[in-house]
Amino acid sequence: MTELEGDGPPSTGPVADPQGDPFLHTRFAVPARPVTFLRRERLTRHLDEALRTPLTMVNGAAGAGKTLLVADWAQTRDGPVVAWLTTDAAGQGPGMFWAYLLRALSASGIALPEDIGFPADASRVPPTLPARLAAGLSAREQPVVVVLDEYDRVAAPEIAEQLEFVLHHAGRGLRLVLVTRTEPLLPLHRYRAAGELTEIRGAELAFAPGEAAELLELHGLRLPPAAVRALLERTRGWAAGLRLCALAARQSPDPERYLKEFEVDHSTIADYLLAEVLKRQDDETQDLLLRVSLLDRFRPELADVLTRRSDAGAILARLSRGNAFVEHLGHGQYRLHPLFREILRAHLRMQRPGLEPELHRRAAEWLRRSGSLAEALGHGAAAGDWEFTAGALVDDLAIGQFFTGPRSGAVTELFSRMGQDTTSPAAQLVRAARELSRNGEDGGRAHLHRAERRLADYDGMADGAADRAAAGLSRALLEALAARLAGSPGRAENAARAAGELREAVPDQLLDRHPELTALLLDHLGSARLWAGRFEAAREALSAVAGSEAGATTALPREDSLGRLALIDYLNGWLGRAERTARAALAETERFGLPRPSGSGVERLVLAAVAVERDELEQAQALLDASAEAHPAMRDPVLEAGRALVAARLHLARGNPRAALAAVEPEVPADAASPWAQGQAALVAAAAHLSEGRTETAAALLRRVPDDQAACAVAAARVQLAAGRPAEAVRLLDRAHPERSCGPAVTVRAALVRAQAAHQRGDAAASHRLVARALLEARRERLRRPFHEAGPWIRPLLDTASLRGLTSGWLLPGAAPPDGGPARHAHPPPVVEELSGRERDVLRRLALMMSTEEIAADLYVSVNTVKTHLKSVYRKLSVSRRNEAVRRARELGLL
Amino acid sequence: MRYEIRVDGRLSEALIEVFPELDHVTMPGQTLLFGHVVDEAHLYGLLARCQSLGLRILELRQMPE
Repeated sequence: MTELEGDGPPSTGPVADPQGDPFLHTRFAVPARPVTFLRRERLTRHLDEALRTPLTMVNGAAGAGKTLLVADWAQTRDGPVVAWLTTDAAGQGPGMFWAYLLRALSASGIALPEDIGFPADASRVPPTLPARLAAGLSAREQPVVVVLDEYDRVAAPEIAEQLEFVLHHAGRGLRLVLVTRTEPLLPLHRYRAAGELTEIRGAELAFAPGEAAELLELHGLRLPPAAVRALLERTRGWAAGLRLCALAARQSPDPERYLKEFEVDHSTIADYLLAEVLKRQDDETQDLLLRVSLLDRFRPELADVLTRRSDAGAILARLSRGNAFVEHLGHGQYRLHPLFREILRAHLRMQRPGLEPELHRRAAEWLRRSGSLAEALGHGAAAGDWEFTAGALVDDLAIGQFFTGPRSGAVTELFSRMGQDTTSPAAQLVRAARELSRNGEDGGRAHLHRAERRLADYDGMADGAADRAAAGLSRALLEALAARLAGSPGRAENAARAAGELREAVPDQLLDRHPELTALLLDHLGSARLWAGRFEAAREALSAVAGSEAGATTALPREDSLGRLALIDYLNGWLGRAERTARAALAETERFGLPRPSGSGVERLVLAAVAVERDELEQAQALLDASAEAHPAMRDPVLEAGRALVAARLHLARGNPRAALAAVEPEVPADAASPWAQGQAALVAAAAHLSEGRTETAAALLRRVPDDQAACAVAAARVQLAAGRPAEAVRLLDRAHPERSCGPAVTVRAALVRAQAAHQRGDAAASHRLVARALLEARRERLRRPFHEAGPWIRPLLDTASLRGLTSGWLLPGAAPPDGGPARHAHPPPVVEELSGRERDVLRRLALMMSTEEIAADLYVSVNTVKTHLKSVYRKLSVSRRNEAVRRARELGLL
Repeated sequence: MRYEIRVDGRLSEALIEVFPELDHVTMPGQTLLFGHVVDEAHLYGLLARCQSLGLRILELRQMPE
């Protein structure tokens, strides 16, 4: 790992946060001190302790002077690097928090480990990120001081946990300073007891008489000691109160009398004083302050838009120099002190009732024009102007944000407040997107059908507004998604074609800003092609997504595409390749900290299928369970069919053919049929019937499958073999010739059918040779399942001396010693005949230490029947006693 | 749940409006806000509102229904 070293140039990290907005650089800036700031040495000295203790907490009420104290300390102390982050209420999720913290570190020149990862989801963080950060920090010789200002805005308890983790493991490399109104959710008592906490609390922040006199003097107010004491009593030494007091008094004709009046007044201090200060400003300034109270951070230009004047620049510059309630953040941005902002907002509502929505609307339009989409949407929604808000989202080509991780939660939540009375075309597209993002909820396709109706409605109103390319492209994306979910490859192709034409008319920079749109579109197209069985065309589209540049907004479609490429490999019998691709998909989710479930989880499904083929059944079950919760917009027929198939194969492997049949029986609802889904379902059903002796039913099922599916041809050959027609079996194989296009999962089975045919003909040499070939091919992929399916005839063969070299170590647990000496015979061969359902029932009860009589009573059968089942179990497991049977069954994963 | 929150000082009309769901009584040097509180989330929200406005809470108590 690269160490977090020294003060080099800021590393080139991602330029946007997980929500896709350019980082608000002002949040990394140490706040500037006003000219009236008073340094208080006793506090600064106490704060120096922060360099010795891992954790420092500065807490006090709003306006107690916390931030300025720490800012002044950070800027004037020589020594360690300080990374400053003003946390924000707007992105409370851990993903946003850590994304900003990483940026704050690199903005202050701390080089981060290259493999640290980056959160792609606003609400999550890659699990490895805190550990890597801590490891990197702990390698530093000089500690880095991280200041988190306004930490009280951090509500998520997991952030506190993660911080605690990093703090603990970073050791001397990190000094954390929390500036907060409320006590953080960290185990403070533990740090306190260990002497590892520096605490500066409200009482210490309160002004002492001497300090108050100095502060008032800085504001140009000289008072006798008695007046200062009285003022301190009234304000309880509260910094903001003293400042406001000084401002108000200075502007009054007789400051001392004014302060006397204030002492006897009984209003709440902040409100009273602010009103006093405000009253003394000119009308323009008052009006401006009231109006900008709606904004978090703002530029003078935006303030001008709210006041419809052009004096904001001058007024704000003046205010930020002179008093404490307007703060200049640098980069031309300002903000109001949070306390006064709240109070001003209350006054705005009071004094200008009904003006708020209009101000929100103006702010939204200006923010949209200046490229701050997320903020524009927020103000548009606050104004209740849904036509504007939906239009802004669609015109910005940001409709994909309904589906990709980073902003999907925020956007969905925002538009959930949109009423039915907004009827613009853009609103209709937004509604369709919402419906599609909820596909499969309530167990059905109702949302999909509603979305399809909305898209049709949209086409109906497509005059004028809809011919705009961005709206058309958004529509094409939704149509491709709807087609994919409906299993309608033709419609998906049409949508993709339409999108291709519309792209020409959309500015390049808009497309560049939203790579998720292209990625999603291709992923939908690829998956629809996959459903249709057009594997090569599907691979083309999916590979384009998988090979696209990695980024937070495209992590989800990239994961899904890789998962589906893995599925194609699996269906073609290439297990190793499928596994590698599926693992790459998983790595994508981990790298970007996508939530589980993030995408369709199709890669977990593929891994489960591979595990079944390797007879690692416990693992297969766990993977299958983990893939159960899929992203609604990715829950398409491919996924449904895939899940049914893997579940059925797992049932088969566990000797439960009825359950396997039940799993593949319900047809996956889709507009178009899928040849491979049907073929695979028939294949599994045939295997289930075959295992219960219904050879003809199995044969009939497979006859209905088109010839071009090699896997099915191999299965059909096996059925012919079971029906006693080995020549027919070989003929089927010769015709399908699976070796031409398929991987080991198919070809090994084909070789085994040929071997069994040879065995039935009595051609021992050919049989031996074919089994050897199958073993050789299967060993690379640890492909065990076909040998277990093959039946009892293969067992003696596998145990022959000449083949033991090919079986030991992976197929036979009792491996031959590596020097090639004689194999130990302590372990019986693992290849067992499938247990019947009843035999498994008995075996399970055996494992619970039940007696034969108890088992009989429990299963409502006679004792003799249980004994018969037991004998059969012993024979199949090659054991002679109960406890041996249970142990063997556990080894084989049958229990 | 019914609660009353006693805060220091007399609240201006504008600040009273920040608590539209509560009734209020103004006393010498204090303001009493009281009324039905829906649940814990609402209660903590009220406290956060007090904090964000710089109000000093003197007393918080649950009232009999």
